[in-house]
Amino acid sequence: MSVSFSAVHDDLVPPEIISTVFYSATVSDTMAVMVAEIDGGVPRLTWCNQGAVQLLGYGLDDLRALPLDHLFPSLGSGELKLLMRRERTVRMTMPVRTASGADVESLIVSTPSPGGRMWAMRVVSTANEQERALRATADAHERRFSTLTERSPVPTLLSEQGMRLAHVNDAFCTLVGLRAEQLLGTGWLDTVHPDDLDDVIERVADALEGGDAEAKARLVLADGDVRTTIIRFAHLFTPGVGAGFVGTIEDITDRLAFEAQLAHQANHDPLTGLPNRTLLAEYVAERFRPGIAGLACLFLDLDNFKVVNDSLGHAAGDELLVEVAARLRATVRPGDLVARFGGDEFVVVCENVDETSAVSLAERVSVSLAVPLHLGGVGVRPYASVGVTVQTAEHQAADDLIRDCDIAMYQAKAGGKGRITVLDQQARAEARDKLRLVAELRDAVERREITLLYQPIFDTAERRPVAVESLARWHHAERGTISPVTFIPLAEESGLITSLGMLVLDETCRQMAEWDRLLGSAAPPRANVNVSALQLDTNLAAQVADALVRHGLDSSRVSIEITESALMKDPDSAREVLQQLRDLGVELAIDDFGTGYSSLAYLRHLPVDCLKVDRSFVAELAEGHAEIASAVIALARNLNLCTVAEGVETAEQADELTRLGASYLQGFSLAMPMTGGASAAWFAAHGEPAR
Amino acid sequence: MTVTPLPTPGSVRTAVPVFDIEKVLASIDTMATQRPVAAQIVSVANSDDTSAKALSRILAADVALASRVMKLANSAYFGMRGRVTSLQFAVTVVGFTTVRTMATVALTNLDDESRLPEDFWQGTTSLALAASLLAPRFGERPQDALCMGLLAQLGAALFHHNDHDGYAQLCAEHPTLVGRRYAEGRRYGIYASRLTAIALEQWGFPSTMTVPLNQIDDLSSGEGALLRAAFEVAARLTVPDYEPVPIARFTRGQLREEDLPPLLEQVRTDADDLRRAMLGE
Repeated sequence: MSVSFSAVHDDLVPPEIISTVFYSATVSDTMAVMVAEIDGGVPRLTWCNQGAVQLLGYGLDDLRALPLDHLFPSLGSGELKLLMRRERTVRMTMPVRTASGADVESLIVSTPSPGGRMWAMRVVSTANEQERALRATADAHERRFSTLTERSPVPTLLSEQGMRLAHVNDAFCTLVGLRAEQLLGTGWLDTVHPDDLDDVIERVADALEGGDAEAKARLVLADGDVRTTIIRFAHLFTPGVGAGFVGTIEDITDRLAFEAQLAHQANHDPLTGLPNRTLLAEYVAERFRPGIAGLACLFLDLDNFKVVNDSLGHAAGDELLVEVAARLRATVRPGDLVARFGGDEFVVVCENVDETSAVSLAERVSVSLAVPLHLGGVGVRPYASVGVTVQTAEHQAADDLIRDCDIAMYQAKAGGKGRITVLDQQARAEARDKLRLVAELRDAVERREITLLYQPIFDTAERRPVAVESLARWHHAERGTISPVTFIPLAEESGLITSLGMLVLDETCRQMAEWDRLLGSAAPPRANVNVSALQLDTNLAAQVADALVRHGLDSSRVSIEITESALMKDPDSAREVLQQLRDLGVELAIDDFGTGYSSLAYLRHLPVDCLKVDRSFVAELAEGHAEIASAVIALARNLNLCTVAEGVETAEQADELTRLGASYLQGFSLAMPMTGGASAAWFAAHGEPAR
Repeated sequence: MTVTPLPTPGSVRTAVPVFDIEKVLASIDTMATQRPVAAQIVSVANSDDTSAKALSRILAADVALASRVMKLANSAYFGMRGRVTSLQFAVTVVGFTTVRTMATVALTNLDDESRLPEDFWQGTTSLALAASLLAPRFGERPQDALCMGLLAQLGAALFHHNDHDGYAQLCAEHPTLVGRRYAEGRRYGIYASRLTAIALEQWGFPSTMTVPLNQIDDLSSGEGALLRAAFEVAARLTVPDYEPVPIARFTRGQLREEDLPPLLEQVRTDADDLRRAMLGE
């Protein structure tokens, strides 16, 4: 800090100040000051303050008599004058010899007087207690730091300057298999993989400039092994020296290997080791360039795989799949991809092939697969249906290619198993049209654009309406009316049947409730709702119950119709579902009875109320064949079941069915299917129905 | 116990100096006025509050010196492979002591080979690299050791400059390091590394750099051992027909002959690059 006084001008310092400063210097015992001059060619001290007397241990007179070079034993002959330069202040660090003969390491600052005849020498001991304590503390810190890094299991680098290392710990030496001397300086850079060196240097540059940085780098070990590491660099600044860094290394080789293994598992089929569907999609997407030919796909589906699984067990089925995978890999060209699409389906993707080559490959694959193998002691000859698609300008996206290939495979299968089919344009168009229709059906269901018509059902004796059957209708804006024969199977294939079924159930219940409000006792007593085989699960009863509650209807107001074939798909679980519905209180009818292959014994144990005589048997009445209709009606009667005859188109048929003992009749001759509103009017006009 | 073949200061006193040390040192001060930027760097670079920014700002005024610092920062020695594109970063990479050393080189005309003994920089860079590479074995900072090595022969350069023929003859007559120092003491009243130490001390270089120069002949001194070993390595590489002295003798057994081959190889490889960077070639 400098303080100026108004009384002080330029370099002229008032004598009072000079004497004050001189007095303080004289008596100071914390600062050693001496004044030397050259007396007859010999340098001598002429004055010392209290501090110098104390430090040196001499009396003032002794000091004056002492040759000056005696105080500085390390100075050579003639070197004393280096301390007594006339032009400048000199600083020298050297031992000062005290009266006891001990040498005190000191800094001497020698300042010449303006006249150049005298020198003020300040002696600062560098070995005082405080400095020693500071140095000891610094040394302790240094030792602690080096112990910490030395013993640390984390490989650590310490740079002195730039990329140059001053220190590496044992963990780093162990990691790379080299000795510290080989790594210090820039030696460690030889362990960094040449391709990663640039990045490491960039990151070090970031750290040297004050930031923290991280580099992913491979280290090449002494034995040639390569480890992948993350090196984290932290800035290190030493005042008066400059910038360096501390680097810590995390060996992530094992972690990466584990992650790679997980990624492999996510993208590969564990059974065959082949890429799975996910990887197949990525693979094709990476290589697909719209408008450019080049990719070809083979879609394989094993014929009769289910037979192997069912007859020889799943272990044999798995063995077959593994064998097929191996044969496929051995047959395709190097560079072709073989993927397991799912179940018994495989896909081969080839690049730069035309249709002829793709078909030729498909033939080779078929031949290789058809070689017999033994599974569980049984000789099996695997055949596959193979669909082939070669990329054309019409393929807009990678998915199109796989989908076309799938279509081709279905064509092959449909043509009689073990075939190879190249996708033709018509099949592609049909398949795409079907896909579009599915999308439109989904929209129609979501928007409740599927409407219901209701066809009355009459009791045979009095010909009074006792119920209605709900019939789903889809009026497409462009295609016009689409038959349920088309859209119901489509809904079943595309997973839309549950939503569609729920829509029909809910809308029917809603309509019933509305009729009740409008017509009171003239409203239809019951509505029959059709349920698909795919809806026959344990959720069905709850869904029906929900719909009834939602619209405030009694369970007796609904009858569920299930086709005979649906019941026979999984008879045990079907019976369970029927029982749940029966427990709910709804009536149950078997639709299209006589067209399936029901076991009569089984039928006897089903909790149903009614059989619906298929319209084909009713139609036969007109041709004089009443045998089947008659038998079904008789069977129902013997089982205490009622019967509904469907498709009654003439009064003669109605009379004949009445004669045969059918309980109820349904058909165009009696009443056409009508909208909800029209039905309300119809029931209002036809008076009190039979309850 | 100190055992040294060198004369004690008292015995040297009987020699007849042909050389006025004070005058020589004064001449350096004169040189400083001709290279004010270098002089300023020498005076500020060791301050604890010096920053790369401040130092590079001063350095930028001396284009020749600045370009040498850039060149050195990008030399193989610092391993930055051309990544150093700003002067401030160059100062960071090489460190303040090195910048200061380079400024001292400029200040004392050590960058003018025509005024130096033959092959001066070949020997000096070998010495500096050897000192830097050996430093960790002696518990010293490699960077300080490099700087010490780069400046260690300042005294010899001053002898050469002020007594051209006499010093050349002295060197020819005394090829060994110890013998030469003895002869320097007799002829000049001071030997070269001591002269260097005094000059560096005057400029405020840290004692870690001057103590080894002062203690080079004290075979019991650990601080002197590093510099002795570095001189021996440099001599083996650069002095024709040099007869090696067992390295263990210089280093109190800290180094063995078998430690030297890789070191010699590395110094031989890197010395030329460092020389070019120092001289701005």
